[in-house]
This record gives sequence, C-alpha cells and structure tokens, in this order.
Amino acid sequence: MRAIALLAVATSVSFAQDARERATDPLGRLDPSTRFAVEMLMDSARLVGLPHGPLESKALEGISKRASGRDILVAVRRVYRALREARMALGPSATTDELTAATGALRVGIPASELSRLAATRTGKPLTVPLVVLADLVTRGVPRDTASVTIFQLFQRGAADDDFLGLWRSVERDIVSGTDPGVALLNRAREIPTKGTSSAVPPASGVRPDDAKS
Amino acid sequence: MTDEFDSLDPNVRWIVTEARRPVPVDAAARARVIDAIKAEPVPSRGLGLVTWLSEPHRLALPPFATAALAAGLVGIGVLGGLAINRDGRSAAGQLPAVAVGQPQLPDSLSPRAVKFVLIAPQATNVSLVGDFNGWDSGATPMKTSGGTWTVFVPLHPGLHTYSFVVDGTHFVSDPTAPIAPDDGFGHRSSVVLVRKPSL
Repeated sequence: MRAIALLAVATSVSFAQDARERATDPLGRLDPSTRFAVEMLMDSARLVGLPHGPLESKALEGISKRASGRDILVAVRRVYRALREARMALGPSATTDELTAATGALRVGIPASELSRLAATRTGKPLTVPLVVLADLVTRGVPRDTASVTIFQLFQRGAADDDFLGLWRSVERDIVSGTDPGVALLNRAREIPTKGTSSAVPPASGVRPDDAKS
Repeated sequence: MTDEFDSLDPNVRWIVTEARRPVPVDAAARARVIDAIKAEPVPSRGLGLVTWLSEPHRLALPPFATAALAAGLVGIGVLGGLAINRDGRSAAGQLPAVAVGQPQLPDSLSPRAVKFVLIAPQATNVSLVGDFNGWDSGATPMKTSGGTWTVFVPLHPGLHTYSFVVDGTHFVSDPTAPIAPDDGFGHRSSVVLVRKPSL
C-alpha cells in the first residue's frame, strides 16, 4: 500500500515536473541540432525586426504534432521567409498580426505585389481580417485571382472588417451547399454596400445559391 | 604584531599600520558635531495616522491564528476562482463578448474569454491547442455535454492559430472558423481574431 502511494506521488511529481519543464523550456523537446537551428532563426528574426513568436509557435506546433526535426525546421524556415517577404510587401509599419495574416496569403500563392497594392491603399485600416479571409477563400477553392481582386476592391472601397467576416461566412455556406467557390464569392461580394457605390463588385455571371436550391 | 601580520606582504603591512594609526582629533570636534545636529530642524512627523500607516510594523501572531489567516486567504482565492470558472463568467457577471470561432478585430492587450466549441459525439477526450498554450495538448482540456465539447480560454486581442486534438492523436480544424493555410505538417489549423473590448 505504501509502495503504491509512493509510486502515485512519484508519478504526480514527475508529471508536474514535466509540465514545469515544458512551461520553462518549451523547445526542450527538440533534438539539439533542430533546436539550435530554430533558435538561430529566432535570433535572426529579432535582429531584423521580425516577430519571433510565430517561429517559436510553429516549432511548438510541430512538436505537438510529432513531426520530425527536419520537418519542423523546414516549416519554421518557411515561416521565417514568409515573414520577411510579408514585411517587404506591407512595409515597416505592419503589425505582427498583419504579418502573420500576410504569411497565410503568401502561403496560398497570393503574390507579394498584390499585398503591396493592398497595403498602399490601407489609409490606416488594418489588413488582418481581409488577409485572413483572402487566404481562407483561396484554401477553400476560390481561384486566386478572383479572390485577390475581389478582396482588394472591397477593401479599396471601404468595406469594414465585419463586411469581410460576413462575406466569408456566406461564401463558406454557399461552398458547402455546392456552389462553385469563385461564383459564390462574386455573388456574395455584390451584396456588400461600400462607400459611394451600391455594390463593390460588378454583377457576375453564375447561379445564385438560392436559385440553385430551387 | 602577530605572526599572521608578519607574514603579510610588506606593502600590505604598511597599509595596515597606517590604517590602524589613531587619527588626531580636535578636542572641540565632538562638541561642534553635536551642535550641528541640534541645529538641524526636526522633521515633521505629519498626521499621526498617516505616519503610522506608512511605517513598517511588526505583527506577531500565534501559529494557530497565522494558519487560520492563511487558510482564509486561500479560501477567498478558491471561491473567487470557482466563481469565475463555473460557467466561464466572472462573479461580477460581466463577460466580454465571446467569439465562437468567429474572427474579430485585434486592438488592445487585455485578454478576453473566447469560447471554443467542437461537436464530436464519438470522441472520448478533446483538447484545444494553439499558439496561446504552446500547442500543448495537455494544457487546455475541453468538457463535453452530449458530445458537444466546450472550453473558455482567455486570449489577448489579436490573431491566433489553433486546432482541436481528438482522442490525443487527431488534429481537427474548427469547421466554424477560417482555415489557416497548410501548417507544414499535413494538418489544417484554424484562425481566430479576438477583438479588443469595446469601451
């Protein structure tokens, strides 16, 4: 009985210690060479004024998903390059969230030049939500050009973050219902009134979701 | 002089000797110092209560009273924590607007309680992982009610990437949230934007 109690205590202490170690040294579960490379990348990011949090987070994500050290390092390097490219595209005033959102857009193939164009028209408005929605729509199958042009036009014409979020929800529902992703985006974008215009996007051809259901 | 002194370096011996040499003091010096101290104005002690409150005081308690006081403080902390965690709301009843996996604007630094929901009736355990908990699958377990898994997590305003872990091994994205691009490990994560509290 005493042995069982001692074993239970030792186990709980071990778990607690493991949790404490994870909290104090989250990268401790990486093999030494991967850890060294990841930390070098984080240091490089700090030196050039890039946020290092996304790099560490990507490494921890890889640990959590039991990825190999090599895959983790590849993923972290990809994030580093994307952050650097995002910074060049959005400019030095871009926030960490904007940079992170931009890396998602770059990841799905949106050219950096498109991001620069978006940043040039921002006039103080944050880019985070439009970029997140853009990346999501492309991931769901909306053609890259259609998505970037539509989002860009909506942003330029003053669409608010709530408009983009509502657009995303509507398009997502339409896609799940079977509408072509590109058509769904164009149809729903027409419904968004923006400053000075009745709709942000010219009428598009294609079947509206309501028509498709009847 | 002791043997220890003799064993010192000659330069050190000289310094020690000089340091030990009595300093000649003017006989009236002590009186001048005392007079100078008396001439200094006495500092104002201010209001008695303010002074008492600002000065340190030693409080002596018997061990039993000390234990009772400590237990009381711990109890207050536990009750406060239970009041907050019972249903994800603070005892004061004021909860910032929650986002059920819905993106919101990032702005200030105050954390806000965000509700995460996954409907997984077949799962035996579900946890939430993301950049806010180091992707630690043991950090944020979710609770189930009829197969609907829920957890409230305080998140700082901003963009967060997350995923659900079902039965310890399956990483599942949130069907109600925007998708994060390929994570580089063969899974899809989700994105949540947390707004700052409106004033």
